[in-house]
Order: sequence, then structure tokens, then C-alpha cells
Amino acid sequence: MKYAAKRIFTLLLTMIIVSFLTFAAFELVSGDPAQTMLGTQATPERLALLREELGLNRPFFARYSSWLAGFFSGDLGVSYNYRQPVWSLIAPKLEITLCMCFVSFLLITVISIPLGIYSARWTSGPINAVRTAFNQLCMAVPPFFTGILVSWGFGILLRMFTPGDFPGLHEQFGASLKYLFFAAICLSIPRIAMTVRMMRSTVIGEMNKAYVRTAISRGNDRRGVLMTHVLKNSLVAAVTFLGQTMAEIVGGSIVVEQVFGIPGLGRMLVASIANRDYPVVQTIVVILAFWVVLTGTIADLLNQSIDPRLRLGGHA
Amino acid sequence: MNKKRFNGYLTAGLLITGILVLLTVIGAFYTPYDPTAMSGAAKFQGPSFAHFFGTDNFGRDIFSRVLKGTGTTLTIALATVAIGAVVGTAVGAVTGYFGGAVDEVLMRLNDALTAFPSILLALLVISLVGPGNKYNVVLALGIVFIPSFARVTRMSFASLRDTNYILGARLMGAKSGRILLVHMLPNTMRVVLPAITIGFNNAVLAEASMSFLGIGVTPPDASLGYMLSEAQGMFTSAPWYALFTGLMIALLVFGVGLIGEGLQQLEREVA
Repeated sequence: MKYAAKRIFTLLLTMIIVSFLTFAAFELVSGDPAQTMLGTQATPERLALLREELGLNRPFFARYSSWLAGFFSGDLGVSYNYRQPVWSLIAPKLEITLCMCFVSFLLITVISIPLGIYSARWTSGPINAVRTAFNQLCMAVPPFFTGILVSWGFGILLRMFTPGDFPGLHEQFGASLKYLFFAAICLSIPRIAMTVRMMRSTVIGEMNKAYVRTAISRGNDRRGVLMTHVLKNSLVAAVTFLGQTMAEIVGGSIVVEQVFGIPGLGRMLVASIANRDYPVVQTIVVILAFWVVLTGTIADLLNQSIDPRLRLGGHA
Repeated sequence: MNKKRFNGYLTAGLLITGILVLLTVIGAFYTPYDPTAMSGAAKFQGPSFAHFFGTDNFGRDIFSRVLKGTGTTLTIALATVAIGAVVGTAVGAVTGYFGGAVDEVLMRLNDALTAFPSILLALLVISLVGPGNKYNVVLALGIVFIPSFARVTRMSFASLRDTNYILGARLMGAKSGRILLVHMLPNTMRVVLPAITIGFNNAVLAEASMSFLGIGVTPPDASLGYMLSEAQGMFTSAPWYALFTGLMIALLVFGVGLIGEGLQQLEREVA
């Protein structure tokens, strides 16, 4: 428990540092938001008024702390482009992106862990060579390309969903989930290949250790040793990797949302970058950064409870 | 002399990559058609001997476009990896060899940065320096790839620091710069080379993603990612556009991936 408390403290500290760096970076480049918002209608009086209204006259640290306080109370400022509170713009999109990422994460875990363990049976020979080549191929095909093929094949030919017409999570949950499922497949393929690769090399590494040789020489069969000893010892590496995967698929979702026309966080981010809508970009970046740090922490805490050696501060 | 085993991955990878690079180099000087020339008479033509990869909705020759696009993508990926590898190795060398407080701080920062998806970091940098310009894309991706190279090389330099031959060199009065460049750097190549292949592939995919999203390379420069986003809109009328463009990206990454696989196999055989 002491470790968990420490880890959560580090988590909060990292989040504050990340949000500070993001805030400072955007402060540097964004110029004068009042000027941006008023555009050609800017007069010195109106500029001064708007600056006062947005609180731009206050010192940097005062603005940062009120922004941070606002972040946790749901007040994230106003979008330059839509003139709406950022939170009300982002919240429905966050739901969609998270939903897709969870579907994708489930696919990755369910498919790649057993496949990785199974493929550890071959360490050389033709089957291994074909497997390695296929694995590389899956990593090489970009998700936006599979996305185009899937929307054409399953969407236009088989009519299983209508590409570009996302039903809406609240209106039609089942249909939306089906839509997200196809997007999640494209998002998952390269990550599945990577996870299989990782799982396979972890299992092979464990199988070559002395305790496995001992167990087998005492008359256990390979399968039994694999199931009872090796898998347990491979779990820590798998959890760490899946934690990173959870972070990576959020990054990958940005592109997949664009291909499938899913109104998620990624599309919003890209549109806001193109329009230089800094309050929105800043908020999305901080949310995604928090997500990355959070998944890392969860993976760490899980590993602590799995492997008692880690609780003593050792290495697995 | 020990017998050399046939390294199938390396051979296949070098073959695929070699052919693609050769095509791209030729494409830089000569393309069958002007990649931007439009032709009303030759719209939506399927693959034929006149147009290997067919034509798009403006009658542009897709084969020529793919050649040019691959050139842009390759150049950006190489420039990116060059920035990442050179700066990253320099940071890794200094922190790994000298250690100390700077090392500690930089590595913590590094841990934090490598945890982030590279596309997200690249998007953050590009939103800071301004989207839609190929030099900014190189800058953004280059910065993003520094931490991973620094991390890999730091470990290598740190473990070499305590070896006897480095100790010997120091006792003979060799300066730090000489030790790092002449004695240590060649020995780190076995980790740097596979890292370069992985970095290159990440760079190709990241550049293609950003251009696909419309915030990377924008016209008049043709990039495979941007072309794929163009192709998506005309998939039902000219599917060959998306197919050949997408296959080109996949083949590029696949070839270099096989080289990486082959290098790792070589490493295992040496070890």
C-alpha cells in the first residue's frame, strides 16, 4: 500500500509537470488570443476589453493556476473557433474515442496473448520464417490504408456499416459499437503483431531459463511447465507492454478516426491544429498526456500485485 | 573462418528496399509522365501498359505520382532519422559516459517522453511550429525520435565505460572525445543499426499519417500519405490509386522491417 501511495503521488506530480509544460509551450506560440479571436474587427478598445474579459492581463502563474483549477472543475476556457466552452465540445468526443480504444484494446489482448504463446513453439525452420515475415507485414501496413480497404469491403460492398455516417453513441449504441468495431480492427492489426512478437520472445526467454530445465528434468511435460510456471513469469512483461499499448492506440486512433469519419477526439485535435484553436489543442493534449501517464501507473500497480519481488523494490 | 549462414530476412529486405530506392532515384530524374499534368482524355483509367498504375480523376499518371511521392516520403524519413540518430547518440554518449546529475535528469525526461505515442508528440510539435510545411514535419519528427535513440545508446555507452579496453585507453591518456568517437562509437553500432531501421519505419508511418491528416506535407509536394487521403475520396471510381499508394508504403516499411529482423538475427548469431 505504501508503494501505491507513492506511485499515485508521482502520478499527480507528473500530471502537473506535463500540464505546466503544455501550458507554457502554448503560451509561447499562441501570440495574443484576443487578436486572434477578433481578427479584422480588432480595435484597441475592443482588444483591451476582451483581454480583460479573458484574464490575459494577469501574470503567467496566476493564469496557469486558474487554468489548472478550471481543468479539474470542468472549466477549460472557450474555443476560439466555435466560441463555445471547450469542455462541452470535447466531452462527447472523448466518450467515442475511449469507446473505440477499449474495443481495440480488448481485441489486441484476446488475440495476441494466446497467439504469442502459441507461436513460441517454433524458434527456427520454415514455419518460423513465414510467421516472422507475416508479422513484419502486419506491422508494415498502415492503419489508414487498411481503413480504406475495410470501409470499402465491409462498408460499401457488404453494407455492414455506412462509412462516413457514424450513428452516434447515444442515439444508436449497438450500431455505433459495430461501426467502432471495424475501425478498431484497423487500429489493432499492427499492435497485435507487435504484442505477439513481444509475448513470443518473452516466453522463449523464460523457457530457456534454468528453472524450466529443472522442472522438465524432474519429469514435468513442457505444456505443464508453460502453463504453471512460464506464463506467470511472463505476465509482468505482458502487463507493462499492454499498458504502453493502451497509450499507443490512443495515438493511433487519431488517424483511424479520420479514415472512418468518426467524430472523436483525434479529429477534433487535427481540426484544431489546422485552425490554430489553441485552447482546444491544449486541453486535448493534456487529456491524452494524462491518459498515457495513467495507463503506465495502472500497469505498474498491477505488476506490483502480480509479482511479490517488485514489492520489495527488486527487479523481476 | 566460421561458416556464414544464409540470412534470408536480410537478403529479402535489402532486395525489396534496394529495388524501391532504385525506382525512387530514377523517379527523381525521370518519370513516364509529369506527375501533376492533368488530362481530360485519360481520366479513371485502370492499370495498363500506358499507365502502369492507372490514372486518377484528373487524368494524372499514378505511377509517376507514386514515384515522386515515395521520393518525398523517403527523403523526409531519412532526414528525420538522421536528426534523431545523430542528436540522440550524442546525448546518449555524453550521459552514458559521464553519468552524474545531468544524466539522471535527462533520463527521467527521456522516460516520460518515450512513454508518449510518437504521433501525438509530433502533432504537439507541429502545432507549435505550424502545420503544412515539409521542413516543419522533419523538425517535428526529428525531435520526437531523439529520446528513443538517446535511450538505446546511453545503455550501450554506459556498459562500455567499465570495460578493460576503455580503461586501457584512458590510462594511456586518450581524451574523452577520442574515447567516445574512436573507441566506443563503433561498438555501439550493433544497437544503433537496428534502432535506425525501427526509427526509419516509424518515421515513414508518422510522416504518412500526418500528411494523410492534412497537417504534414501539403501540395505542391506529393507525399504518399497525402496521396492516400486524396485516393480515399475516389476509391470507388479509381481503387488502383489507393491500392498502389498504400502498397508502396507497406512495401517500404516491410522491406526495412526485414532488414531490421535480419540484423537482429546476425546479432544473435554473433552473441
